[in-house]
Amino acid sequence: MVSSAKLRKAERSLLQARPYSDKMMEVVSSLALRADSKSRPLLNPGESGRVEIVIVTGDRGLCGGFNSSVLRFAIASLDKFSGKKVDLFAVGKKARDFFKRRLEFNVRDDYVGFWREFGLRDATTLAGKLTKSYLESSLDATYLVYNEFKSALMQRVVMEQLLPIVPAEEPEDDESVVDYLYEPSEEALLDKLLKQHVEFQVYRTMLESFASEQGARMTAMEAATDNAQEMINTLTIQYHRARQASITRELIEIVSGADALAG
Amino acid sequence: MEEKKETLSLDIVTPDEHLVYQEVDEVNVPGAEGDFGVLGGHTPFLTSLRPGVLTYRVAEQSHCLAVSEGFAEIVSDRVIILAQTSEDASKISKDRAESAKERATKRLDDARKGVEGIDTARAEAALARALARLRAHSQKARDPE
Repeated sequence: MVSSAKLRKAERSLLQARPYSDKMMEVVSSLALRADSKSRPLLNPGESGRVEIVIVTGDRGLCGGFNSSVLRFAIASLDKFSGKKVDLFAVGKKARDFFKRRLEFNVRDDYVGFWREFGLRDATTLAGKLTKSYLESSLDATYLVYNEFKSALMQRVVMEQLLPIVPAEEPEDDESVVDYLYEPSEEALLDKLLKQHVEFQVYRTMLESFASEQGARMTAMEAATDNAQEMINTLTIQYHRARQASITRELIEIVSGADALAG
Repeated sequence: MEEKKETLSLDIVTPDEHLVYQEVDEVNVPGAEGDFGVLGGHTPFLTSLRPGVLTYRVAEQSHCLAVSEGFAEIVSDRVIILAQTSEDASKISKDRAESAKERATKRLDDARKGVEGIDTARAEAALARALARLRAHSQKARDPE
């Protein structure tokens, strides 16, 4: 099956990307906790009273509740931000088209038409756009809403904070006092690392969403095939019944005709 | 005083795979400001990488990889290498690396001649990656296991 082959591929690249993303988080966290994080805007929320929500959908339908559940979740979550101004950012054609018709939502920008062949470069572009608006408008936070891939049959819609970056707490803290050596300087490293971290988080989100989409589509198509098969069976039985009934009727007519002649 | 641990645990991860995860005796890393070697008990250290050749040694056996831009963190006998790409020297195709090098060189030449629309930074990065792969390949050829 085409969709299951696609799913396997998407799942493989996602599973391979997860360790990198985890290690990246480790390094970022250990540096962010030691360095002077107050001076880094990517680690600190802005104060404009505005947030941005990035909604990640696919470009195409026919995949069950994949797109609609993300959209529903996103709209429901808007209540949490009462008192703040919320900008939306649509990723994928489904999200763009959905909000195009609903003018009550404030969609700042969209990013579409890349799913067919997406890579790290798409993530870099998107991360660049998001980081830029976060810094320029001094947003309180940027969130991602997307389908997290659990298994081929299970996707879960989650909301994750992309910016500001929240460092994970280190379990052992006695060693972080040790003097670290940095090459080049601490500031240059931190800036570079934070930028790449955001890019990679966006990339992982894309991979999660893409794998979920393939899984949802496969499940939906399988259900459709099953339903069609069931319908074919029912209709075939109905057809046979009708055919037999008409044959029986003809036989009765012939027999009774012959009887009439003989009698 | 407790006995010092002699080995290092080495992690090499790229966006595409978890390439290496094992205990090693020594690692040589191409840092942004010069190559450096790591043995057990190294001081905590964080650096960015430049494209180059990374080698590590387990007992008497040494291994050789080409890595591109990324980061290296060394904390308490753990070495984490985050690289954009990484390739085992034995899997590098010399022809492909050569042609990548030629392509990048040509693009840079064109840019110097004033051809429009060339991303010089990208071409330079591609050239550095190709050279790193070639170096890893030739190092492997000189020193077969």
